[in-house]
Amino acid sequence: MREAAAKACRTLLEKGDVDAVLGLEMVGDIPTPKVFVSGDDFSKFEVEPVFPIVTLLRNIWPFTGNERVALVVRGCHELAVKELVKREIIDGRRVRMVGLACSPEQAAICRCLRPYPATVDVGSRAEGVQDDVARKIRSMTREERLAFWEEQFKKCNKCYGCSENCPVCFCEECALEDCMFVKTEGIPPSKSFHMIRAFHVADKCIECGECERSCPVAIPLRSLQRMLAEDMKELFGFQAGHDERPSPLVATLDEAPVKGVSE
Amino acid sequence: MAEFQPRILAFCCNWCSYAGADLAGVSRLQMPPNVHIIRVMCSGNVKPEYVIKSLVEGIDGVLVLGCHIGDCHYISGNHRTLKRFALLEKLLEDVGVDKRRLRIDWVSASEGEKFQKVVSEFVDQVRALGPNQLGRGAA
Amino acid sequence: MEPRIGVFICHCGSNIAGTVDIEEVVRYASTLPNVVHADHNMYSCSEDGLSSIKNKIKEKGIDRVVVAACTPRTHEPLFRNACEAAGINRYLFEFVNIREHCSWIHMKEKEAATRKAKLMVRMGVAKAALLTPQEESESPVLPSAAVLGAGVAGMTAAACLADQGFEVHLIEKSEHVGGLVKDLDWAFPSDKSGTDLVRDLKKRVTASGAKLHLGTEVIDISGYIGNFEVTVSKGGKDEKLRIGTIVVATGAEELKPVGEYGYGDFPNVITQGELETRLAKGENVGDTVMIQCVGARDQSREYCSRVCCVTAVKNAARILKREPSAGITIIHRDIMSYGVRNEALYKKTMEDGVRYLRYSLEAKPVVRGNHFANSIEFREDTLGEQVLLTFDTLVLSTPLVPNQDNGRLQKMLKVPLDRDGFFLEAHVKLRPVEFATDGVLICGSARWPSDIPECVSQAEAAAAKAAIPMRAGKVRTEAITAEVDETTCTGCGNCVATCAYGAISIVEVEGRRVARVNLAQCKGCGACVGSCHNGSIQQRGFTEKQLASMIECLTGEEEG
Repeated sequence: MREAAAKACRTLLEKGDVDAVLGLEMVGDIPTPKVFVSGDDFSKFEVEPVFPIVTLLRNIWPFTGNERVALVVRGCHELAVKELVKREIIDGRRVRMVGLACSPEQAAICRCLRPYPATVDVGSRAEGVQDDVARKIRSMTREERLAFWEEQFKKCNKCYGCSENCPVCFCEECALEDCMFVKTEGIPPSKSFHMIRAFHVADKCIECGECERSCPVAIPLRSLQRMLAEDMKELFGFQAGHDERPSPLVATLDEAPVKGVSE
Repeated sequence: MAEFQPRILAFCCNWCSYAGADLAGVSRLQMPPNVHIIRVMCSGNVKPEYVIKSLVEGIDGVLVLGCHIGDCHYISGNHRTLKRFALLEKLLEDVGVDKRRLRIDWVSASEGEKFQKVVSEFVDQVRALGPNQLGRGAA
Repeated sequence: MEPRIGVFICHCGSNIAGTVDIEEVVRYASTLPNVVHADHNMYSCSEDGLSSIKNKIKEKGIDRVVVAACTPRTHEPLFRNACEAAGINRYLFEFVNIREHCSWIHMKEKEAATRKAKLMVRMGVAKAALLTPQEESESPVLPSAAVLGAGVAGMTAAACLADQGFEVHLIEKSEHVGGLVKDLDWAFPSDKSGTDLVRDLKKRVTASGAKLHLGTEVIDISGYIGNFEVTVSKGGKDEKLRIGTIVVATGAEELKPVGEYGYGDFPNVITQGELETRLAKGENVGDTVMIQCVGARDQSREYCSRVCCVTAVKNAARILKREPSAGITIIHRDIMSYGVRNEALYKKTMEDGVRYLRYSLEAKPVVRGNHFANSIEFREDTLGEQVLLTFDTLVLSTPLVPNQDNGRLQKMLKVPLDRDGFFLEAHVKLRPVEFATDGVLICGSARWPSDIPECVSQAEAAAAKAAIPMRAGKVRTEAITAEVDETTCTGCGNCVATCAYGAISIVEVEGRRVARVNLAQCKGCGACVGSCHNGSIQQRGFTEKQLASMIECLTGEEEG
């Protein structure tokens, strides 16, 4: 897979279809982000492990000038790119995606429903996996759910890893840093922190799981977002990343009605 | 032990629900004194953060009252209100907060009686839910 | 510098004082942060009351005023004026409603009402401490209008405006005026042909002084009410027009139903529009069958196009006049010929032998023929029987559909389209000829399929509305508008999409995309603020900090 991906990226560079490839390179035994340009050595090109490559692309985007960039995307990354392009935060015309299908093992770790992008250039499609954790939480009573989340949120040390690594959390100045909504002092932060983030991300979250992967205390953030993604589907028939339409939250009721809620 | 008196926050839009509340006042329609109004120009101005902050910091119930759909003074501000708070209700339940502590409703400038009804119903509902303990927990 | 807040509690006679313990509220107010003076008046809105407030402002160096009394919806302007007279910016004033929202609704609970009044005053003081001075301003309006489209609606609007003395540019992308009407054989119920009607209207336009631009396309529109820049292109040459108001009269198109009922395959299967052309040339059409609602009121388009039934009835009458022995059948799914004259014509055609038969979508009629279509078979819905008709000409009544250009025009004007693709007005009942975006008006079939009298009425209404700001020469802008912090804005576009007035757009500042508010268009609703994730956009007079500080008054533990 690594060789196939490296070859595909190198080819794009050599053909002049792109000016740079954003990817990973083994430095010693550590996969490290690198911007590959034409003529670079691809022998240490790497695609494992799952990496917040789109977050990185978004962060360096203001410095890409007019250059076209290629990157290897998994199913989730491809959707993240689409959400960013929708908002013109990155310019879709300057991004080329090489599609990588995840292995069944990775799909299980991520509890991912679609572990492959729309176009698969490397690897083969594995079966989607349901999120058992989200399901379990949903089956609890309200009191049990509250107790569960209070237990989880108590662990939070406000490292901001979740929002830093999230591909669609693009606000440099973040509501979670605003003392009005989340008090500056105190660990753990109040529930507001997690609820506000969950809400803000709800119409963009493509469930890549970076939030959960980044959390040093293993709060099941991905499952919280899974529940919200299900809510978005139920209320608006909307699925971030898959849906071409703008967010239903900013559209009128004519453009995007709410289901099951009397007006 | 004194009966629990819930503390309730209501966001009212200048053109419809705030005016409806005024009419209720002019008509001397009596209501429980638990509701405090914050006036906004449009219910669309109400950020979900305000409601989250209120509930997490101990307000027992939040009302968001706007114009009826189709009658928003600013055309479609209340469309966003409806959608945002439909999602917020879901989020509250997902996290284990009783969504009945939040109520969205539409009250026009001529609906003094509806304002009284919504307020009285909501106060009773929140009273039955008991004090909001969210702010007391460690998180 | 710390704010110096003056709090004035009103008795309102016994209206408030009868339930709320005024002295207690005054005492409590004086303990609140930043309050330098707390006082009470019998009737704050009276001459005495206002004088007393003004005097105290000057005496105590008060720079922010809180009045706790009735509803701001009545007397806010009065107190704002008093502040201004005393030397304070009129927006450094906060009104607390302890009458309609307190004393009048808790008449039997004096203690609770007093406690609530104290908390309400506390919230008012918290907000007042964070208020900042604001200015209302005026924006000039150029006395010039651009009318887009020179059909009946456009020509009428242009003539109305030019007659009033405004500079009018009537812009038409084709080489002819008259839109859909110029091709009509007969404009019922007049005695005129479409050509005659259009010629009369054109004379009026010329006489009015409106400038007609034929063969001219709109390629860009920027700006806002009173100050639009409309770029037009004719024969490759561009011209920039400086415009005060814009009237959209771009009309609609007749649907050509290729693939339906043999249209496109047989030369004698035609639309109503094509029928009008043949009738105008004096051609005979022989035995005729017309099918109504082709491509309308079905899966593809749910709406009724309002004018096609009357057109069919009218054309049936027209055919009969020239060819009295022609057999005419109209196959329909309801005949919509509303109004006295239309209904009378419908009835007359029935009396003169036109047959009206009903079909349904579940059993669509089948058309057969060789080089020409010659028969149609369908299940008559009322009889429940198969019917076979032969004909010389088959006419399909198709709906008016949105102009192909609407999508492009919509983006330039920042106005919405409805779910069928027609332009969407500000309010279907109360504001039918204007958009939510100020200075842009709509008339005719660009909004929905309209007959000629409707187009004319709407055009005159749109012209009247357009004249208002142009006559005044200026528009007043809101003070409680939105503003963007360009250093924190991410350019995500939430606010742009949320604004119903098209008042916000994304601009580039030093390589970054950020939102920017057009103050002339902003109505001060704050809906944009509700959709912003990180508070980059705020509403003057209703900032996040102000509202959050009011919330914190309620979550705090202590009471006074």
